[in-house]
Amino acid sequence: MAPLAPKTGDAVFASIDRVNAELFTLTYGAMVRQLLTDLEEVDEVNKQLDQMGYNIGIRLIDEFLAKSNVSRCVDFKETADVIAKVGFKMFLGVAAAVTNWDAEGTSFSLVLEDNPLVDFVELPDTCQGLHYCNILSGVIRGALEMVSMKTEVTWVRDMLHGDDAYELRVKLLKQVPEEYPYKDDE
Amino acid sequence: MIGVGKIKQYSNVLDKPLSRGRQEVSLSAFAFLFSELVQYSQTQVDNIAELERRLEDAGYAVGARVLELLCHREKGNRRETRLLGILSFVHSTVWKVLFGKVADSLEKGTEHEDEYMISEKELLVNRFISIPKDMGAFNCGAFVAGIVRGVLDGAGFPAVVTAHFVPMEGQQRPRTTILIKFAEEVLRRESRLGG
Amino acid sequence: MDTNDSLRLASLWHSMHAISQQLSPTTGCAGIELLQADTFDLHCFQSLTGTKFFVVCELGTLHMEALLKVIYELYTDYVLKNPFYEIEMPIRCELFDLNLSQAIQKDRIALLGR
Repeated sequence: MAPLAPKTGDAVFASIDRVNAELFTLTYGAMVRQLLTDLEEVDEVNKQLDQMGYNIGIRLIDEFLAKSNVSRCVDFKETADVIAKVGFKMFLGVAAAVTNWDAEGTSFSLVLEDNPLVDFVELPDTCQGLHYCNILSGVIRGALEMVSMKTEVTWVRDMLHGDDAYELRVKLLKQVPEEYPYKDDE
Repeated sequence: MIGVGKIKQYSNVLDKPLSRGRQEVSLSAFAFLFSELVQYSQTQVDNIAELERRLEDAGYAVGARVLELLCHREKGNRRETRLLGILSFVHSTVWKVLFGKVADSLEKGTEHEDEYMISEKELLVNRFISIPKDMGAFNCGAFVAGIVRGVLDGAGFPAVVTAHFVPMEGQQRPRTTILIKFAEEVLRRESRLGG
Repeated sequence: MDTNDSLRLASLWHSMHAISQQLSPTTGCAGIELLQADTFDLHCFQSLTGTKFFVVCELGTLHMEALLKVIYELYTDYVLKNPFYEIEMPIRCELFDLNLSQAIQKDRIALLGR
């Protein structure tokens, strides 16, 4: 029998190799700074961070599936819980909360209790439009796309912009049906 | 609101107490981030020397901040002023905090008075990385070399720092040696301060 | 077998896997997991992202399912975290090869049964 899917990522996080969060935070900071120098425009940096997150997401999803023992989710609600409780915990060591479902059950918010990306960070006046953590939205979008879900992920609240929490809105655009790779005309 | 209870807001990042640095993220999260940093860097350069340079620059920014953080947290706002003191600080304190262990070895170069080497059998940043054959001797440890240079420079010990693969007898994989070549002024000052 | 041969066989296997799903009299078939020939067994594992891993072994070799899971993990470590690997391209990663050849040693596989 397959092992039961975990409800939280605590056990996985405890069993895998970990590193000091400061190495991670400072490396991310160094990367954002390089992007600001290379691209100059804050909007371009936001785009690039999202793209980099996407690139990570399409790779990271396999690690998540291989090491978390999570199997196919029955619906989007379960997907949301798995991302928040297992995914965030397993990679970043902090869980997120799922809130604010819409009536159709196709969009929800992820609220972060703690965010290891932003230790030591304060946005200077010149970077007020920067979504410093934009890599996270890209990761979620990329990871979900690899398991047949097209999503749109946007920031609702950002503590670096003076809000009281970090809140990401995840909207399911399309559940891509699993297609047979085999077609008659090929 | 669920999940926001633990967050305390500070009007200014400087008011926020410095964390004690016990928090961890998964090695995978770091490895994916680092891999993406290397991939992005590749799109910004024309050759391997420039790629090394970019990774070193990113590392330098990390090193400069790590020095400040650790001098404050671990050393009560004091920092090393002598050559062997700062080398041992890098090899032990910095390594332990960033990579979870003291570096495998710290040696003085045999041929040159101004050279020191910190070696690691398996550098954390290289754990999952295989260098393609056509990239020759390139080592992503350039990032760590940058961290070391950032720490040394900030502490007043300017140096040229590079990362090299060194084959080991009886081992399938080469180890990485971080070669530190101090600036002349550093050695002059050191000899003035005497033993 | 050169790279082109591997790619050709992999694409044939991919199609057969898909055909098996269509042939299934009940819904929800995930495709071929085990193919038994008269001289060998072929075990296949497909991740939820659609990547297939397969191992060809002596008839009746044990623990192949567990081995495929180990290989999947090695793939996520030494292939997907390698900045020099391009997605969807043939895998040329020294560390993956090294760890893979260790994982398929007989004594290691025996341990998977525990």
